[in-house]
Parts: sequence; structure tokens; C-alpha cells
Amino acid sequence: MVYDALIAPFLEFEFMRRALAAVVALSLGAAPIGVFLMLRRMSLVGDAMAHAILPGAAVGFLLSGLNLFAMTAGGLIAGFTVALLAGVVARVTDLKEDASLATFYLASLALGVTIVSVKGTNIDLLHVLFGNILAMDDQTLLVVAFNATLTLIVLAVIYRPLVIESVDPLFLRTVSRAGSIAHLTFLALVVVNLVNGFQALGTLLAVGLMILPAGIARFWSRELTGMITIAVASAILSGYAGLVLSFQTRIPSGPAIILVSAALYVLSILFGNVRGIVRQLFPAPHLEA
Amino acid sequence: MTALVQFRDVTLGYDRHPAVHHLNGEVAPGALLAVVGPNGAGKSTLFRGLVGILKPLSGSVLTGGIDPEDIAYLPQTADIDRSFPISVFDFVGTGLWRATGFFGGIGKGAREKIGQALGSVGLSGFENRGIGTLSGGQLQRMLFARVLLQDARLIVLDEPFNAIDAKTSVDLLALVRQWHAEGRTVLAALHDMELVRAHFPETLLLARGKVAWGPTSEVLTAENLAEARRMCEAFDDGAAACVAEEDSSKAA
Amino acid sequence: MRRWRLLLGLALSLGASPLHAQARLNVVASFSILGDFVKNVGGDRVDVTTLVGPDGDVHVYAPTPADVRKIADAKLLVINGFGLEGWLPRLLQAAGSKATIVTATAGIAPLKAGSDADPHAWQSVANAETYVANIRDALVAADPVDADVFRQNAKAYRAKLEALDGEVRQAIGQIAESRRRMISTHDAFGYFAARYGIALIAPVGVSTEAEPSARDIAKIIGQVKTEHIPAVFLERIGDPRLMRRISEETGAKVGGTLYSDSLTDEKGEVPTYIDMVRHNIRTLTSALAK
Repeated sequence: MVYDALIAPFLEFEFMRRALAAVVALSLGAAPIGVFLMLRRMSLVGDAMAHAILPGAAVGFLLSGLNLFAMTAGGLIAGFTVALLAGVVARVTDLKEDASLATFYLASLALGVTIVSVKGTNIDLLHVLFGNILAMDDQTLLVVAFNATLTLIVLAVIYRPLVIESVDPLFLRTVSRAGSIAHLTFLALVVVNLVNGFQALGTLLAVGLMILPAGIARFWSRELTGMITIAVASAILSGYAGLVLSFQTRIPSGPAIILVSAALYVLSILFGNVRGIVRQLFPAPHLEA
Repeated sequence: MTALVQFRDVTLGYDRHPAVHHLNGEVAPGALLAVVGPNGAGKSTLFRGLVGILKPLSGSVLTGGIDPEDIAYLPQTADIDRSFPISVFDFVGTGLWRATGFFGGIGKGAREKIGQALGSVGLSGFENRGIGTLSGGQLQRMLFARVLLQDARLIVLDEPFNAIDAKTSVDLLALVRQWHAEGRTVLAALHDMELVRAHFPETLLLARGKVAWGPTSEVLTAENLAEARRMCEAFDDGAAACVAEEDSSKAA
Repeated sequence: MRRWRLLLGLALSLGASPLHAQARLNVVASFSILGDFVKNVGGDRVDVTTLVGPDGDVHVYAPTPADVRKIADAKLLVINGFGLEGWLPRLLQAAGSKATIVTATAGIAPLKAGSDADPHAWQSVANAETYVANIRDALVAADPVDADVFRQNAKAYRAKLEALDGEVRQAIGQIAESRRRMISTHDAFGYFAARYGIALIAPVGVSTEAEPSARDIAKIIGQVKTEHIPAVFLERIGDPRLMRRISEETGAKVGGTLYSDSLTDEKGEVPTYIDMVRHNIRTLTSALAK
């Protein structure tokens, strides 16, 4: 019976296998980024980016109609521009990252809505652009897999300066210019993951599997590599369990996955090793030294 | 001998109000210089201009041929994210940035160096502690250890002994003396006059402008100190634009 | 004397008719299909503007201030009803318009979709005739002077619709009974299926806003396989990838694109309602009849 519930759906249906593959790939790419976003207090950037890409998608639509490729490319360009401008302004002026990003994404969104309205149609462009995990065709799967690979490689490369820059930004500024490069590269990675994630899987999943697993990891590890591992693991677990849930009930797939992730999060808040509530209420006896 | 650092009529400040006003002077290589002055004298501002964080309002700071990577800076209030999940060991290890760069592994030799550095500042045994668990003084010592590892030619310390007890100060001062012996140039902003008289051969008494700069015994006189206290005024919102060129030549 | 009166009467009536001809009735239709109906009944006696234009998605439409102005100026507002225009009540409040509201579906018994009504009543051509009748009555009430024109136009148009209805029946008749199955993205063809005897399966419910669950997809795939359903159909609005996935996994071919909720503009494939029905029928028969 357990077999029927947990394994059989994936053996029987190809779309389930593809969905699982997609969610694993998404987790590998998005979860580590999410950990850094959380540590750098940029957790809301995902939502902001979902809106910021609109003018790019709109221009893509203007030029090529309802062509997914054109709109995604446009979205990427818009996303990069916003992220870049926000990053540069935060570095060069007194404005902090969050305010900088907020202002640029709002401006971008307004521009996007204007472009769409001027054209005269009212298609909810973003509605069309955002995909669904149950509809993974070969091309989309490739995109998601590419994302994950690119992310892991680039993160490995910029890991050290990114960490230093996150914990002590002044230090890196005084000894090298690597801090800025790492920062902007990281932002670029965020944009790529988000835009490709939106197009393949929709906003809820793309952003949700970035942020929730990072939140979960916070309660189980005190150390960065541990956090990243736990984030990836909990993302994959949420994906798997969510797909099973969506298969057994009528809950749509994206929300199902995120609901499972949220449940894990609540459990972590309560029972997590590190600063979990139960842990705080019933602490272990203190050590001798 | 060419100077390591030159302050050429430099004015540094915030929002057009000068915190350091028309400073001229040179720091010779290998100097052990204390920068002293009342609160608001501009010591931190001067250092920030020196390490390149703050752009001068006018004039310039020249660091003759020394790369930014060759400067180690210990700020007064470290803007460090204490909640970040990094261990003391890893944090201090970033001081080896120059040797390891993006990719270099932390090999056995490096690990030993880090261990030694922690020992020198009295933080042996703290390797695996998260930086969020450290007290103010321990954090300061950890930053000191990082400076040690940076192996820099120019070391700039902004009030390095603030949160530290007397015994540890003695230990850290020994490190400073060792740096001096190794031929490194050390600048330190300090409050404790006794400490300065005892350990620092050269002093700059700063009160927004230069009050006196030279051998410590000549600089730290009662007169000079009194003048310093007088020169330190707060920002004047009604101040006119500075036309200092004529004034300073007149004063000279 | 008589000639005088005759001339006077003639002059008066001549004087009066330009005034009549200038005052066209200002009508706003909520979306393109309704707009098409109104144009056919009203002819050049009405000025029709549409809120949700060609290629628009009337389920998730977000009104603009320009729409408020359109409604404020209108004498007549034609809506579908059956919960299609969820965004409308607020817009009406904002516009504070004194227009008469006509629900085109008045008198049509709604099909159920879950607990709500299925709004896509126009998919049955028989219902379309009722739409046209309701619109005609509303136009007559709002502009009695042109009543005859409206009645004539409506009669002619309804005749066309009757003929169309026959066309559809005939076309469906050409498809073998076992092959009369239709799978499309959202549940827009309930009325079509009911009237013409085609079974309809859709992964998403009646609104384009909803998302399917894995179970829904699995059920459809299972059904396609067991019942040997020959083709699945894409829709103009929405992501085609879901249908393509079902097609790949079941071997059912992608039969083409159907139009459900919206017409296209003049340069597009289906600028009028009759074009839309014809296009859908052609697509269906060519995929299912073989």
C-alpha cells in the first residue's frame, strides 16, 4: 500500500517522473541560493523579481507575440538590468540593498504594465509566461537542468568571496575588488534561477523552493555548508512529498509542494535543534565548560 | 627614503562638513605612529580615507606604490554580521585571502598559521565557535588575529584596545611591537595617553587639523593637548564654504 | 395650401431624421463575442465598444480607468453573467454609470461546473440565438425609434445562426460515436458538448486561473488511454505545454487550437462568432473524423 502511494505513481506516469526530475534539479540550484539570500536579508527578492521581469517579457511579446523563448529572453534581460542597477546603487550610495531593489522593481513593473497597455491587449502576460511542473517537456527540463548545473558551478567559484562579503563587506572592499564581482555574479545567478524557474514552473515553486528550505535549514545547522545541505535535502523532500500529495488528492501540484515545505518549516520552528521553540522551552543541561 | 603615506592638503568629511581639515604630512616606512585626539577629532575618518573607503572632499591621500591588498585595516566598529554561520577559524582564515585567493585550499601550513594566530591573541580553543558567540573583547581579538594573518606592509588599527582588558592589551601590544620590528608600518588611533607615551615613538595629535606631529614626547605636551581640545568644534550648519588656501599660508 | 402643409411636413421630417441618424446608441459589451453579437443586431445604429478585446482573457481581466470612462458614457451594458465577469461589480461601482445592464444569458438554464455555474453558454449555437434575442430586446427598449432595424437585423442574424447550428450537427454526425471525445485545457466547451453530443474532459476547471493537480492529469491520461481518445486540443489562451505532455504520454495527437473565450481581431483567424464556431468544428472534425 505504501508502495502504491509512494512509488507507483512515478513508475506508471512519465509526467510524474519528469516532474520529480524537475523538482530535484530546481532544488539543487535554488536551495543554495536561497540560503545566501536569507543570510543576506534578501528573502523577498524573489517576489520582487517576478514583477521586475514584466517589461522584458512585454517587449519580447511586442516583438514576437506569445513566443515563450522571446519572452523569457526579455525577462532575463529585464531581470539582469534591475538586479544590476539595484546592486550598483546599493554599493555606490547610502541606499541599502532592499530599498534599492524595491525601488527598481517597482519602476520596472510600472514600465512593464505601461508597455502592455500601450499595445492594447490585456493578456496577463505573466500568466502565460509561467509554466507548470506537470507539463515538463524536453526543452523545459533541459533549461531547469542547465540552471542547476550553472548555479552549482558558479556558486563553487564565487563561494569564498561571497561568504566573506556577506559576513564582513568592509574587509573585502579594502583588500580587493572581488567583493563587487562576487556580489553582482550572485545577483545574476539569482535572476537566472528565478526567470528560468518562473518559465518552467511558475512563481510559487521557483521562489518557494528557494526561500522555504533556507528557512528550514536555519533551525538545524549552525554552519553554512550544513545549512546548504539541509536546504537542498528538504527541498527535494518537499518536492517528492508534494507530488505524491498532489497525486493522491486534488491539490494542485505547485501549491502542494509548497504546503509540504511550509509544514516542514513549522515543524522546524518547533522542534529544530538550533533555536527551535521546544528546544528553547526544554533546554538540555548546560556543559561544564 | 620615500614616504609610505602622504597626506596632501587632504580634507575628509561627511556631507561637506570637514572632519579632517587640510591635513599635510608624511608617514615614513616602518613608522610606528599613534594618532591621538579628543572625541570627534577625525581619527576614524582619517583612517577611512587612508584605506580608501572614504573619498576626500579635497586634496589627496597617496599611498606610494603600496597595493590595497598590502594594507590591513582594523575598524573601530566592525560592521560584521554576527548572526552569519561562520566559525572563528574560517573567519580568521579569510586573512589569508592574498595567499589563497578564490580557490586556494587551506592546506596544513595554512591551518597551522591560523592556529598560531589565534594562539597569539589568546583565542586558542575558539576555532569551532560561531562568531556570534563571542564577547566584544573576543571579537576584537579575533579581528586582530586576522590582521596578523594578512601579513600586510601597512597596518591601520582604529582604537584596537577598546574592549580589551589590561592583560590582553599587553599581549596585543607585544604583537604590535613585533610588527614594528619586522619593518611593517603601523598606525594606531588611541585614547590611552600612557600607553602611547610608553610604546609609540611617533604621534600625530589631531583635532580636525594637525595640532602637532612628531616624536611623542614633543607632541604630547600640556599646551598641545589644550589646544587640541579647543580646536574640536561640532559641525556648524551655518559655516560658509572654505577658502582655506590663503588662511593656511597665513598661519604658516 | 395643401402643398404648403406637405412641404412643411417634409421639411420637418427631413429636419428631424439627421438628428436621429446622428444619435447612435452607445453600447458597451463586456467581451469580444458579445460585442460581435451587438454589432450584428445593432448595425450602424449602435456604437459598440468592448472591454475585454480580441485575444483577451475575460476570466482574469483587470479593468483600466479607460474602461470606467467607457461604461460611464454608455447607455447600455451587455454582460454575459453566470459569474464570468468577476471583475465587473467593482468596475460598475467605480463608474457610477446610469447604463441599463443586460444579461445576455437571461432565460438560459445554466450547466453546473462543480458548485458554480459554467459561464460559457455561448458555445452552444442554440444559446447564441437566445443571446441575440435578449440583445435585440434590450436595444429595442433603449432605442425604440430604430426598433424595426434591430428586429430585422436580429432576424437575419438568427437565421444565420440556425444554419450554423445545422452545420455543426452535420459535422459532428460525420465523427464516429466512439471518437466523439474532446480534451482541452479548460472546461470551456461544456455547453458545446451537451448540445452536440461530444464528451468533454479538461484538466483545469472552468477558469483559466486554476491549476491542475497530479491526480487530475493522471486521470485524464488514464481516460485517454482506456477510451482510445484520438486527439487533444490546445487553446489560444494558456500554456500549451500541458496538453502537449498529455499528448506525448498517451499517443493522442495534438488536434489543433480551439477558440473558446475570445475572438481575434480582423486580421486574425476568427474575427466573428460564426468564424469561431466554424473554425472549431473544422479543427475537431479533421482531428477526430479520421
